Parts: sequence; C-alpha cells; structure tokens
Amino acid sequence: MDERVASRIEVKNLTLGYGQDLVLDALDLPIPAGQITVLAGPNGCGKSTLLRAIRRLHAPQSGAVLLDGEDIARLKGKALGRRIGLLAQSPSAPLDMTVEELVRLGRYPHQAMLQPWSARDDVAVATAMAGTGVAHMAQRRIGSLSGGQLQRAWIAMVLAQESDVICLDEPVNHLDMAHQLDCLELVTRLNREEGRTIVLVLHDLNLAARYADQLVFVSGGKVRARGAPEVMMRADLIAEVFNVTAEIILDPVHQRPICIPHRRG
Amino acid sequence: MSVDSFSSRGFPAGPVTLAVALVTAVFIALFLAGVGFGSTWMPLETVAHVLLGGGERAERLVVLQLRMPRVAAAALAGGAMAFAGYLLQRITRNELASPGVLGVVDGAALGVVLFMAIFSDEANALMVSVAWQPLAAAIGALAAITLVFILSGRQASSAIRLLLFGIAVAAVAKALTTIFMLVGPIYQASQAARWLAGAVNTINWSEVQLMAAVLTPTAIVAALAARHLPPADLDDVSSRSIGLNLPIYRVFIFFLAALLTAGAVAFAGGVAFIGLIAPHLARLLVGRARAAGILVSSMLGAIMLVGADLLVRVAFAPLEVPAGTVTAVIGAPYFLFLLMRKDKTNG
Repeated sequence: MDERVASRIEVKNLTLGYGQDLVLDALDLPIPAGQITVLAGPNGCGKSTLLRAIRRLHAPQSGAVLLDGEDIARLKGKALGRRIGLLAQSPSAPLDMTVEELVRLGRYPHQAMLQPWSARDDVAVATAMAGTGVAHMAQRRIGSLSGGQLQRAWIAMVLAQESDVICLDEPVNHLDMAHQLDCLELVTRLNREEGRTIVLVLHDLNLAARYADQLVFVSGGKVRARGAPEVMMRADLIAEVFNVTAEIILDPVHQRPICIPHRRG
Repeated sequence: MSVDSFSSRGFPAGPVTLAVALVTAVFIALFLAGVGFGSTWMPLETVAHVLLGGGERAERLVVLQLRMPRVAAAALAGGAMAFAGYLLQRITRNELASPGVLGVVDGAALGVVLFMAIFSDEANALMVSVAWQPLAAAIGALAAITLVFILSGRQASSAIRLLLFGIAVAAVAKALTTIFMLVGPIYQASQAARWLAGAVNTINWSEVQLMAAVLTPTAIVAALAARHLPPADLDDVSSRSIGLNLPIYRVFIFFLAALLTAGAVAFAGGVAFIGLIAPHLARLLVGRARAAGILVSSMLGAIMLVGADLLVRVAFAPLEVPAGTVTAVIGAPYFLFLLMRKDKTNG
C-alpha cells in the first residue's frame, strides 16, 4: 500500500463496546482515498462493527472517525449519508417495493422539506441502475428477484447516494461464485473508473487478496496488520490471526497470493 | 418534495385515483345514510334539505342535533384509528400491528375509565369538564406504548417482540379496567361498559368539536411526518445509512399514533380492529402509494365505523348495541386470517 496516498478516513483510537464487552479496542486505521480497503478477520473480531462505526451506526465510547479530517460525530445524518454509503449485511425492503422505488431511496439524504425531487435525482437514479445492470428490471418487485439481481438492486440504491465512500458489509455472502465475481468486479469498476473509496468486509481471504489495495486483518478488536495483499498473505500472519496453518501460493491467473488452509491451529 | 416522489411509482396512477374516488363515494353515501336512518327513516331529500339550511324544526333537531354528531364522531374516530394503524403498520413493517394489538386502545380506555371513576359524581355526571377526557386517554395510550417499548428493550425494532408485549400490555390494561369497573361505584359500570365496547350514540356536538380539535392538528403533523416513512421501510441499518434518524423517528411515529388513538378512544370507546383492517385493505387497493394510502386508510376506517354504527341502529333497534361489537365480530376473523397467511412483507 502506498502510504503517500491521502487518507479519506482516519479511524483514531476507536473504542466501542456493548456494556463491559469491548468490540473495538483503541483501534487505529487509515483508509486511503480512491482505494479498495478490505477488512478481514475471524468471526466476532469486530470487522463488521468497525465498518458500521465508520458510518456512525455505532457511537464510540472514545476515539473518533475522521472523514477528510472532520469528526463524523459532528455531521448531520443526511450530510453523512451523502458522503458515506453503506450496504448492510442482510438488507431488507418490503417485497412489493419495486427496484426503482428502492433505488430512489438512495436519494433520501439529498432530499429536504423545501428541496423537491429534481432532475439531478432522476439522473443519479438512472445512472445507478444502468451501472449495476438493473435498469431493465426497474418496475420489477423486490420479492420477484433472484439473489444476484437483488444484490445489484441494493448496490444501485447505495450508488444513487453518490457518496465518495462506499462501505459494503459481506456483500457476496449469499451469492454463488459467478455472482460473487459479478459483484466484486462491479465494485472494482466503481473504484477504478469513478475513483470511489471502497471499504469491504469479506470472509473469503482469497477474494480479499484478489480485490484489495489495502488488506486489513482485524482480530480481538484491533488491527493486527495491514498492507498490500502481497505483504499480508504470509503463512505466519494468517496462522496468528485466523488460527489455521496455511500454504500460500501465487494465483497463476491474476498473480495474486492465495491461501490454502490445511488444518486448524 | 412532491407528496409521493418516493413511493407512488410502480403502481399505476389510474387505479389509485379510481380507488380514492370509489372510497370517497362510499363514504359520502354512508354518511348520508347514517343521518337518514334512525328510529324513524328520514328521506334523503329531507336530509339534504336540512343540510342546506331548510327543513322543519323537528327535522332540523333530529338531523343536526341527534344524528349528525353521532355520524361525524364515528367518521372521525374510525378515520383516526385507521390512520394510527397505518402509521404503526408502516413503522413496524408488520401488517399485524395496530393500536389494538399494541395495547394503545386498552391503555387509552384504562385512562378514560380511571378518569370517569375519579371524576364522576353519584348522578353519573362528570365533576370536571369533558375536555379533560382526551388528556386522560392520551396519558393512558402513551403509558401503554411506552411500556411496550421499554419491555421490548433493545429489540424494540423487532415487530414480533413489540406485538407480543403489546398483546401482554393490552391484557393487563383490560384486566385493570375490569377491576376498576367492579370495585368502582356501581353507577358508573354500565355506562363505562357500553362506552368501552365502542359506542357513539350519546355523542353531542361539543364532544365532536373537542374530538376534531384534538385530532386535526395531530393528523396534520402525522401527515407531514409520514414523508419519512419510505426510508423507514428498509431494515434498520439501511434506513439509518441513508440518513434517517430511525430511533427518534420511530418513537415520534408511535407517539403520534398513540395520540390519534387516544383522540378516537376518548369519545368513541374501544372500537376494535379498525386500525388493523383499514390500512390493510387500503394497501390492497392502492399499493405502496403513501398519500393515497393514508387517505384511503382513513376513509375506510371512517366508513367502517359509520357503517357499523348504522348497522347496529338498523339491525338491533330499539336496542342500542355498541358499534364496536360489529367491528369486533368482523375484525377478529380477519385478524386470524392475517395470522394464518404465510407471506412476509419484508425480505
């Protein structure tokens, strides 16, 4: 990872928990502008909580999340919604809602009492639907979509927010291999072509290594290590963070490191 | 923002307009029939004549002083209950939610019964102004919904938990109401029992005015607040991610629904199931369209209570059966039908 790239987001000394149990423990993490940052780690390590804290869905006990140097705690809800979008892990919408209605909700942070729906909102919705390939199913109801189509409709909703930063919480969880690739290629395109800063939580370490610019290992509420996938995909580090013994080889197609876990501990 | 820029698309405008027109026509017809029917039938032309300022003195008395307030109260109460039900079903994302199921109706009723027990004299007359009755209902309604919220705890966003605690709180409020009626002075019991079942037959104009004074501003605020219902349709994380302050908004909508319910219950009593059925039927008629949904829900609620009141007058005369009995007889099986349906509304 190139440390000279300006950080769009700075997680500073973030501590967060439920009652006595700390989920994030004085965590620090810079998230560079215009890159794909992937958060990975074992179950319950706090990576999803970290992602939601970046979108201020959890209030920290101490520390802060800085967006372009500004504490997000000071931003209004809609203002933050225009700057950071988040796709939830298992989002849900009424089954009789149409795809277009869902995508239009992405414009909510741009709306105000005295600010009616504008041509700009229409353009944003159309662009988001075209970019995710759901334009032809704009009038289909959510309940009639397949898993892959539904995921693209939700991504379109987040895109319609036109935020520079997009967070996605395990976006490929329930998708088959083809749709996993579709989804992550789409995210990569948004990053490369539109320069959006992407923060992803991914469970699959090999997908993480393939798509990340910055790979972050979270464990025990702290960042254990971060860096380019080539640096991060080391047997000793993976053994320490994920508690598996693994072999690392180079993927002959993409020239990215891949991990072959062979046993626990 | 135009009223429905978020939600009306995807459902053809034609059928929505047609449904609104149809429901309006039925409402007007029932309103006139409600004024026309009674112990004696008054021809509609006489009713119209009186409404336009003519008619004999006796006719004017019957129409304007006896029947109109009763029909107007039924329309207001039914409309308010249905609006409250619409808000609750949207904000909990569950079509089984209603002021009744969530304990708000029984909470408001308990408030009123306590008020009656404390402030009535032996001649069955209130010692204080009846204007305090909606306040008593509101306190009861808000206490009930607050209790449901607190008991649901961290999972207050889970519709099922809210419904279960709502049913429990409703049962407790009902039990307390029964106790107060049993141990309270006997001279109030029969009056309160009739009122509890939902009856509009004794309402006069000053009570209707009071009702309108409570309900109109609440309904206006609620209609404005309903602007944020579409983002609240999404799951908690998604709706908050697009910038809605869901925890506060949810409390605000519950508060408004409780006030609407209280305004209705304070005068029309514990009318059952309108808040459950009317919004549901409205959704079948106009889909997700929000402004039309609110309008059609409220008018259907008004239609149901005016219709139920008309039915008890025609079918059971000279007995004065509470209109709420009819809505309960129709509503309870409908509730069972909704319970047995398997389809989910969110996914």
